[in-house]
Amino acid sequence: MQQSGIEITKDLTIPKLFVSQCKKYGRNKVAMREKEFGIWIPFTWQDYYDNVKYLCLGMVSLGLKKGDKVAMIGDNRPEGLWAEMAAMCAGGIGVWLFQDCMMDEVKYIIDHSDTTFFVGETQEEVDKALAIKDSCPKLKWIIWDDPKGMRNYKQDFLMSIKKVQEKGKELDKKQPDLFEKLVSQGHGDDICLLFYTSGTTSLPKGALLSHWNMLTMGHNLMSVDPCYDTDDFVSYLPFAWIGEQMMSISCGLQIGYTLNFPEEPGTARENIREIGPHVMFAPPRLYEGMTRQVQVKYIDSTWIKKKAYEFATWVGYRVANLSFEGKKVSPGMRILNWIAYLVMQKKLKDHLGMSRLRHCYTGGAAMGPDHFRFFHALGVNLKQIYGQTEIAGISIVHRDGGVKFDTVGTPIPETEVRITDEGEIITRSPSVFQGYYKNDEATAKTLVNGWLYSGDRGFIDEDGHLVVFDRSKDVMTLRDGRPFSPQYLETRLKFSPYIQEAWVVGDKRDYVTAVMCIDYSVVGKWADERKINYTSYQELSQKPQVYDLVQKQIEEANRDLPEVARIHKFVNLYKAFDADDEELTRTSKLRRAFVENRYKDILAALYSNNEMVHMDTTITYEDGREQRIKTDLAIRKVKG
Amino acid sequence: MSSVWLPCGDYHENYLKDQGWWQSSFIKVKMILLLAVVFLGIPFLAPEYWIGVATMVGYTSMGALGVQLLIGYTGLVTLGHAAFIAVGAYTSTMMILQFPWPQFMVDLGLAYPVSILVAGIVAGLWSVLFGLPSAKVKGFYLILTTMAAQFITVDFILTQYVSQIGGRGQAFSLPPGTIKIGPFVMETEREIYFLMAVLLTLIVIGLANLLRSKPGRAWVAIRDNDIAAEALGINIVWYKLLAFFVAGFTAGIAGAFWVSNTAALSPEHFPFFLSLWLVGVILIGGVGSIHGAIFGSIFMVVIMELLQMAVIPLAAYYPKLLVDFAYIKDAAFGLAIAGFVIYEPNGLAYRWWQIKNYFNLWPFSY
Repeated sequence: MQQSGIEITKDLTIPKLFVSQCKKYGRNKVAMREKEFGIWIPFTWQDYYDNVKYLCLGMVSLGLKKGDKVAMIGDNRPEGLWAEMAAMCAGGIGVWLFQDCMMDEVKYIIDHSDTTFFVGETQEEVDKALAIKDSCPKLKWIIWDDPKGMRNYKQDFLMSIKKVQEKGKELDKKQPDLFEKLVSQGHGDDICLLFYTSGTTSLPKGALLSHWNMLTMGHNLMSVDPCYDTDDFVSYLPFAWIGEQMMSISCGLQIGYTLNFPEEPGTARENIREIGPHVMFAPPRLYEGMTRQVQVKYIDSTWIKKKAYEFATWVGYRVANLSFEGKKVSPGMRILNWIAYLVMQKKLKDHLGMSRLRHCYTGGAAMGPDHFRFFHALGVNLKQIYGQTEIAGISIVHRDGGVKFDTVGTPIPETEVRITDEGEIITRSPSVFQGYYKNDEATAKTLVNGWLYSGDRGFIDEDGHLVVFDRSKDVMTLRDGRPFSPQYLETRLKFSPYIQEAWVVGDKRDYVTAVMCIDYSVVGKWADERKINYTSYQELSQKPQVYDLVQKQIEEANRDLPEVARIHKFVNLYKAFDADDEELTRTSKLRRAFVENRYKDILAALYSNNEMVHMDTTITYEDGREQRIKTDLAIRKVKG
Repeated sequence: MSSVWLPCGDYHENYLKDQGWWQSSFIKVKMILLLAVVFLGIPFLAPEYWIGVATMVGYTSMGALGVQLLIGYTGLVTLGHAAFIAVGAYTSTMMILQFPWPQFMVDLGLAYPVSILVAGIVAGLWSVLFGLPSAKVKGFYLILTTMAAQFITVDFILTQYVSQIGGRGQAFSLPPGTIKIGPFVMETEREIYFLMAVLLTLIVIGLANLLRSKPGRAWVAIRDNDIAAEALGINIVWYKLLAFFVAGFTAGIAGAFWVSNTAALSPEHFPFFLSLWLVGVILIGGVGSIHGAIFGSIFMVVIMELLQMAVIPLAAYYPKLLVDFAYIKDAAFGLAIAGFVIYEPNGLAYRWWQIKNYFNLWPFSY
């Protein structure tokens, strides 16, 4: 086991670090694995180096120059990371796109970022690029990886990664030291990545991050929670999300741990279980998904297994609560906890792929305290992380033993956090970004004297932990004038396995209401067992029995709240919120302003005396097809 | 994908490991325990009578494994397996009795081991001969051709001709001391048991190895859909004949082993009923599983022993029971098969799989 002893200097760049790590580990260590044909095919650091080198030289021979943008879109695969690294080695700037981006988003980002090289994984991505090629005149080359379906594509600006690498080999024969020279030209202050933030309100903004930003961020996080080069990490979340970049590049490259790529996005959960990563970072919805999976499977389990589960969670919750409160665990409880570990937690962690987990992080959105408790009751060292793309990932994290489920922790080294007079969280660190690309106005608003203005409201508690209340613009004012975070209530509602999404409304209104999206598979199963017939999400959501079920979940969440903050009325939406309908960001955050406008009829009805609201709207499918929906939604009052 | 359930954090970077024998430490411990029971526990702790029962289980397993390979893995239904066991037994016996062995081979105790190997090969080739129709026919027609093997081999050739060698008529008996492996003479139950355990272990290892390599995949492909298998480029005639050879080979070894157990040999040891019995064993144990053949053998042999134990005290009150026991046995066999086909059509191996799953999925049900 070896921990990173790398010193981050202004001269160090990601490619320089990459080359030195490749030299250090060579053929003796596996840099990445990809699951294909049933086995985890390994790539050593030498393979990684060769692939990146030839890809880089190939792109250079096609005309890639320092500062050029290289856009990448595709699943998490080694080839994607090679392309990114190759672009950086040539002094280029990487731009990652979410794979499920709609055409307009792709076009906006490619055009706005002045991308010259487009690296797509499959025919689907190539088609997207071809469709926008004419309206993005700066786009010169389209490179693809998977040959499936590409036989009849004859355009001369199309090329496969393999072909590019061959060109790279030719160039390497002519100029054998070119690659090293290109790498050595880099400087820590150069821009390496251009990140388009999801933006809950407006068009995406491109955040510019330098090598120095990325590397210091990784270094400071690792100094809090060390990783080792023998660790495994599973890379399955989109590279277009800063969290994945931070784990795969900022941390992964410094430590030299092994990145594992799943077979398909759909098999990711199973593949995680096989690998059993030592460190994990995921947005809350993944942990929410795991909790839901466990809860549902528990319901369907047999009597003995249920009892074992109930016993173990009872013990687990008690131990977790004691440690949250900072109290000592009695020896009797310790023994019980050990038994609980043997009969249940060990096995459950195995199912979730958390057996070898040293620490795991959640960040990117708020996570409910119930989910948080759930994982700690299992003995999983789950920590909150707070940060944003603009600070190259994260700035604040829980420390081992100092986890409080209502806070996000304390700043990592070299990071200062303050609260402005308006209650806004501002941070300063070497990782603060360089500004927004071609958007000085937004830069000036966000970056003042080296301080990053987050737009989040929060405060620092008595232990020095940061508490994030909510996005400043989302904080609602209740009837009695108190501020209230809708997110808090929403995450509590989402702890119920039956509820997939919730949207709580009540800013400056007489009472609080909610728009609920049921979880189709879980509620569907529930309905099947009760012999309730339904044919679609829409029909299921409007069943009176389902309304009863949802009402019960709301009453549960209402229980500990002051009267004014309780949900008074709710409606079951005829569909789940979806990023393709622009209701969620690509990182699954609710775009409140957008949904408020879209569902204004529902809102109006919630605050009237109507018991029904008529909807007439269209929904968009992932392939761009649209369907008109006409339906009546019932409005239900919650008692008490 | 790996065929066994692996704990989180155990993964394979190559197919060598993916198809490995002992993939997790749990399996390693389990297998070592099993071998300890087979090679130390039963022979040294069990009463002699039960060692004899265990030997019968082993003999049945050796036969059933060949049937399993043909029916369970290659989809070639056979009702003539007893014939190949008989060929093995007669080959071994004739070699020991008639072959002009050089004296040093006899002294070194090599005659019997060599005869076991030859018995396997001869039975394998004999099996291929009766497997040849499988190139043309399948299903019911193949069943009939394999039945032909039974009648031609046992009732005709062995009874009418081979048994007449030496002019003694029906049975052969092997003089004491002729069944000798190296310095060990096979005489006591325990020695015979050891011979069985070693042979069965070797057969299981060999068969499992074949099944996880190219021939095994070809067999399963032929079983699932022979036309599709042929379309995929599998030489189905070759692989069907190979299956017949391997099944015949194990039958031959089982037959050669049988000689050591009885020290006598008669065509009556290999009736048509034995062929049926072996098919019954794999139906009860579970079709398409090595475990299944062994579970089925244990179940059938032990049930029959228990039945016998139940009948003996009752015979004091109703003596005819003892006389009719052979028929009671047949009836019990019929009942067991009917019961399994109706209530547990996937056999004991499936039950075993379910038990493993119960714990693998803990604390959930799926």
